[in-house]
Amino acid sequence: MTPGQTEAYVDAAAAALDLKLRPEHRPGVLRYFALAAEMAALVEAVPLDPHAEPAVSFVPVSPAEPES
Amino acid sequence: MSAVELLLKDASAMADAVRSNAVSAVALVQASLDRIAATDPRINAFTDVVRERALRRAGQVDASLASANGARTRELPLLGVPFAVKNLFDIAGLPTLAGSKIERDSTPMRADAALVRRLESAGAVLVGALNMDEYAYGFTTENSHVGAVHNPHDLTRIAGGSSGGSGAAVAAGQVPLTLGSDTNGSIRVPASLCGIFGLKPTFGRLPRTGSYPFISSLDHLGPFARSVRDLALAYDAMQGPETAGLHDPGCARRAVEPTALQLTHGVAGLRIGVLGGYFRQRAQADALSAVDRVAEALGARKIIELPMVEAGRAAAFLITNSEGAALHLANLRKRPQDFEPLSRDRFLAGALLPAAWVARAQRVRRLYAERVARLFERFDILLAASTPCAATPIGAEWFDINGHRLPVRANMGVLTQPISCIGLPVCGVPVWGAHASLPIGVQVIGAPWREDLVLRVAAALESAGVAQSPVAAL
Repeated sequence: MTPGQTEAYVDAAAAALDLKLRPEHRPGVLRYFALAAEMAALVEAVPLDPHAEPAVSFVPVSPAEPES
Repeated sequence: MSAVELLLKDASAMADAVRSNAVSAVALVQASLDRIAATDPRINAFTDVVRERALRRAGQVDASLASANGARTRELPLLGVPFAVKNLFDIAGLPTLAGSKIERDSTPMRADAALVRRLESAGAVLVGALNMDEYAYGFTTENSHVGAVHNPHDLTRIAGGSSGGSGAAVAAGQVPLTLGSDTNGSIRVPASLCGIFGLKPTFGRLPRTGSYPFISSLDHLGPFARSVRDLALAYDAMQGPETAGLHDPGCARRAVEPTALQLTHGVAGLRIGVLGGYFRQRAQADALSAVDRVAEALGARKIIELPMVEAGRAAAFLITNSEGAALHLANLRKRPQDFEPLSRDRFLAGALLPAAWVARAQRVRRLYAERVARLFERFDILLAASTPCAATPIGAEWFDINGHRLPVRANMGVLTQPISCIGLPVCGVPVWGAHASLPIGVQVIGAPWREDLVLRVAAALESAGVAQSPVAAL
């Protein structure tokens, strides 16, 4: 992402979440978002088969046993 | 030996002394409370001391020893041992702060965390709660709300984080045993910088009920101590899934697998490798020297690379950034000014990450875990530095790693993050002499559920004098 794209995305996503970024916080937020984008590029570069499962799996929750 | 002298020994020696009536639990706990009062103004490890509760509990231990139940009480492994916990563990009667200002408004807890209860059931006595990075999002414990934790071995330097108080309290001899949490390195980093032993068990081994969460699929809890036998005793006392009431859905339904009796089994026959590539490129010469000393002592000569390690670390970063921010989104909206200034902007950015990045990170993480599992078909133990360097000065923003100028606060965990990302058990062992005056830790890493092996190797290093944990001269 270019710095301009990062700014546009951050402002739009913050608005979508109703997260009002204060002027004194915004430069830090842009810097950390850019760092996350670098990390995302490393993750995107890994080829994944459609069957590649996520690390977190769901366990159904059974109702409590009735007390005897 | 007096209670004051005993306090400089390990928890096992203290329990033996209480067991043999050489010292009372009350005297031992009082000595711990006195040392905290005398040294903590310089260390800043404690955020709460539960003096009355501790003395009452110690009195109960002594009374039980003198009662008809005395023989049974005498068998408790941590008899009369004072301990303290990172302030994200629930303590009855106190709000659980998790290092924050915001949680000061929360209701005092009605019960102790599961692991606090288990350690007290093993005879230990809780004396207080410990300083940490806010919401566990940091590696330096420069907490802006209550002040930084000072490294007992050099008061001008950081203790590491996020369990900085847990590391410093043990290094300072205030207590012989503490608990912390480790999401991306928060047990192994302070253990390294404070020169003590730390155990991050396999993900899912110990129940987290009654502890403030950070990242559900990455959070681990574990002990710090100045000897491996203490780690093993505490770890064994805390194992096992919960059988009644609230329970941690992330805790595996595994039976207790005790380790303490296997510590002397040695390392013969174990296949031990040294992590190269990523792990050597991101460490200063002192840290590499610490790893080399450990490798030489163990006869480990094979250098191997962890497959997919950079992508795995990136996955942990994204999952942490996004899920951590989502957890605190309501307060990030309402009261951002009350967050720790050192991590607030990182939290705010994390709230904005595209879902597709995080979903892909979880799939990459699993693939990475599968690749590393294949490596463990050929090795039992892997070695790597715990931190890129020894403790940095409090307030330092940057350090130099192999010619790259990098921010300290984001990179002190660069060597631990890829390991916890896939839940491997690690014992951090403290090595002295690699740096001119400070300790540096080495990670002894095992395959999932092989805490027995990482503790055995750590015990062998301790018995050979390669790893040791002296109390700081204060």
